[in-house]
Amino acid sequence: MTTEGTPVIEGLFSETADGPRLVGSRCTTCTTPYFPKSSLCHNPECTESKIEDASFGPLGTLWSSSIQNYPPPPPARYDEPYEPYALGVVDLADGLRVVGRMAVEDPASVQVGDRVELVLGPIYHEEDGTEAISWMFRPI
Amino acid sequence: MRDVAVLGVGMHPWGKFPERSVTELCREAVVAALDDAGVSWSQIEAVTAASSRFSGGKGWGLNGNDIVEDMGSTGIPVYNMSAGCAAGGNAFNVGHTMVAGGAYDMVLVVGGEKMPKGFIQTSGVEEETDPEFLRQRCVGMPGPAFWALLCRQRMAEFGTTEEQLAKVAVKAHQIGTHNEYARFRKEFTLEQVLESNMVSDPLRLYEICPVSDGAAAAIICSADKARQIAAANPVWVAGSAVATARFDDGLPRGLAGVVPTGRTHHSEAAIAVEKALAQAGATPGDLDFVELQDNTVYYELAFPEDWGLCGPGEAEHLLESGETMPTGKMPINPSGGFLCFGEATTAMGVFQVCELTWQLRGDAGPRQVPDAKLGLAQTLGLGGNGTAVVLKR
Repeated sequence: MTTEGTPVIEGLFSETADGPRLVGSRCTTCTTPYFPKSSLCHNPECTESKIEDASFGPLGTLWSSSIQNYPPPPPARYDEPYEPYALGVVDLADGLRVVGRMAVEDPASVQVGDRVELVLGPIYHEEDGTEAISWMFRPI
Repeated sequence: MRDVAVLGVGMHPWGKFPERSVTELCREAVVAALDDAGVSWSQIEAVTAASSRFSGGKGWGLNGNDIVEDMGSTGIPVYNMSAGCAAGGNAFNVGHTMVAGGAYDMVLVVGGEKMPKGFIQTSGVEEETDPEFLRQRCVGMPGPAFWALLCRQRMAEFGTTEEQLAKVAVKAHQIGTHNEYARFRKEFTLEQVLESNMVSDPLRLYEICPVSDGAAAAIICSADKARQIAAANPVWVAGSAVATARFDDGLPRGLAGVVPTGRTHHSEAAIAVEKALAQAGATPGDLDFVELQDNTVYYELAFPEDWGLCGPGEAEHLLESGETMPTGKMPINPSGGFLCFGEATTAMGVFQVCELTWQLRGDAGPRQVPDAKLGLAQTLGLGGNGTAVVLKR
């Protein structure tokens, strides 16, 4: 998948030799995963915050999905003419429940329980035509 | 802590009122509440007000100050409470806490709002450290999508059908026709709901609440004060609680959370309700009716089981057998709810206190819950804010 554009927001994902990953962190005391990165563990039951860099993905299961049938209000952005897209909430194998767009041709094809993988792709174009890249999930 | 009475309530009708200011809407509600309580403005010792991001308040959420200036600046303290759609419930809780604790004997609780057209922009900032901003910019997942994702998960887990979702809206409008303050006062057929546009699949236009203008007010006071007012017809606060969402809530409020063990959905609402019921010394089964925040039909199916009013997956059956109507075993939203009113977001918690009061007095007319003695109201709002109040006759 293309990564020629620029990230919507810098620092949230990376392209590795093994494919794309979400860039976050994890508390080594209680194993809680954080995306985006956190400088402090927010788990109220954790005894000592010890944060290390961590990356997440690529495999997970779709916990729920929806279709964004109408153009979302700002600060969301989209290309004209508006095309509805599928949204997903994915449980990654490493314990992170994360939201993201679904990389599918037909938004209605997405099913709760689908096995999915993390991919990167454009979600809109900047005014100069540059692709704005975000993380997405694709059924496998 | 002292016993606290709801002495009087008042509302401005809900709808679109382009010719009226939010201050005029609030004034009508406040004057009605004062009249209902049988007290004058000069007897109000403090104001707790819901802060609005959308109207009035000098752009800083100072909505209570607008009301004091309008009603007459007597020098009383004003507390402006900001909690998204839970602000009205939050204002009630703060007012209740201060009267119960003895700081004041008589407090005005008020919420009023005029909403901009269209879908609500959930994030008000463009900062990369703001989780709500990141979710909208990187994913594009506004409020109705949040509800839709919860709803689709329920459909997958319990087999809830599109027809059952639509039946919640049909039921709401059957009741709403009887509420003179409601914005929508006509019935919808199942077909009409199912033919309305898909907004956030699986939720349709008639299955989510639109935005409205509206205002509501309540006068609350100590038991001693209530007894001094001969014409008073008070109901009593049995419990009032505020909560925020759990760390392991089921649906992340930012980009991500942990995969929880067990069902932890809408935890801010569940915690607030549990605390308010505990204060009231009541079990869910003791409740005669509930006003819950039905921004979407989904909540009316999901919340009752979260709170122990019914078992998991039972809400659909209770709906279809008529048990959630005012005359049923588990009446939900005898006001008609947000589906019939639309949301003037920050006024909603106070609107619910009005409905609870009318029901407990037996003044609700054709939508009356028979022999209502104990009622619960609940809100939840952006930021993981939840509130609950239990009123008794």
